[in-house]
Amino acid sequence: MTSNTETIPGFKITKSFGVTTGSTVRAKHIGKDILAGLKNIVGGELKAYTELLMEARTEALGRMMMDAAQRGANAVVNVRFATSSVAGGAAELFAYGTAVTVEQE
Amino acid sequence: MYEFVETESIIVLALILIIIVFVAFFPLAFIYSMLFGWAHQSSKNKKLLAREQKVAGIVGGDNIHTLSTPINLEDISKCGLVMTNITVSPSWWQLFIGGIKSIFGGQIKSYDKVLAYGRAEVMQRLREQALGEGWSEVINVRVETSMVMNKVKGGQQNKIGTLEFLAYGTGIR
Repeated sequence: MTSNTETIPGFKITKSFGVTTGSTVRAKHIGKDILAGLKNIVGGELKAYTELLMEARTEALGRMMMDAAQRGANAVVNVRFATSSVAGGAAELFAYGTAVTVEQE
Repeated sequence: MYEFVETESIIVLALILIIIVFVAFFPLAFIYSMLFGWAHQSSKNKKLLAREQKVAGIVGGDNIHTLSTPINLEDISKCGLVMTNITVSPSWWQLFIGGIKSIFGGQIKSYDKVLAYGRAEVMQRLREQALGEGWSEVINVRVETSMVMNKVKGGQQNKIGTLEFLAYGTGIR
């Protein structure tokens, strides 16, 4: 289970395993970049980038949850996201949270 | 000798054509952006409004909120992260107008519209995704904004103006 609240309503935190993180750096190939540049003429949504960023963020989240599972946690609470553009056309997606074990009350 | 001249002239002609296409492309694209950018964006806005009303009709109000505790739900059996995103950018025309406006300062309406659309759209997607995945409520919703995919030239950011909006919250049922 993942949550971006400090506690999961209806559940009790029994043990904490500390901060768990996951990150990935992604770039789109040049063809998609050029197409996005053309789409830019009329403005609005750039679907290629939306998809790319969502894929990357899902992967970062997956890595974070793998890390938590390896430590023996069954939930991650207080998840936060950070995005930074590291180089031309590439973005780093970063997810972090606290790995815990929870029990239903 | 004669054949050689002919192939050479063809190459020169092709080069001239390529140059004309490239020189003409940018002004034409700019005019296209000026004429049709607005229509394109306002049609997207209308669709968004219709979707908002549809979801409001189904859930009877709003199924997302920023509080960290549930409002309506009493006992919770499951929870999970719900997240959606959108990347938007102003059109060339809007960038041009915004660039001129930013010399004098004050409100820049052309950027305003794009940002307002992006944020409304990402919230709407969160509502739809929550409905689709079967969450009865999404609590602790946060909206984040970041600049992505911008080329960095000599330490200064090139103004392509691609913005990403991310909305996420905890779905409960």
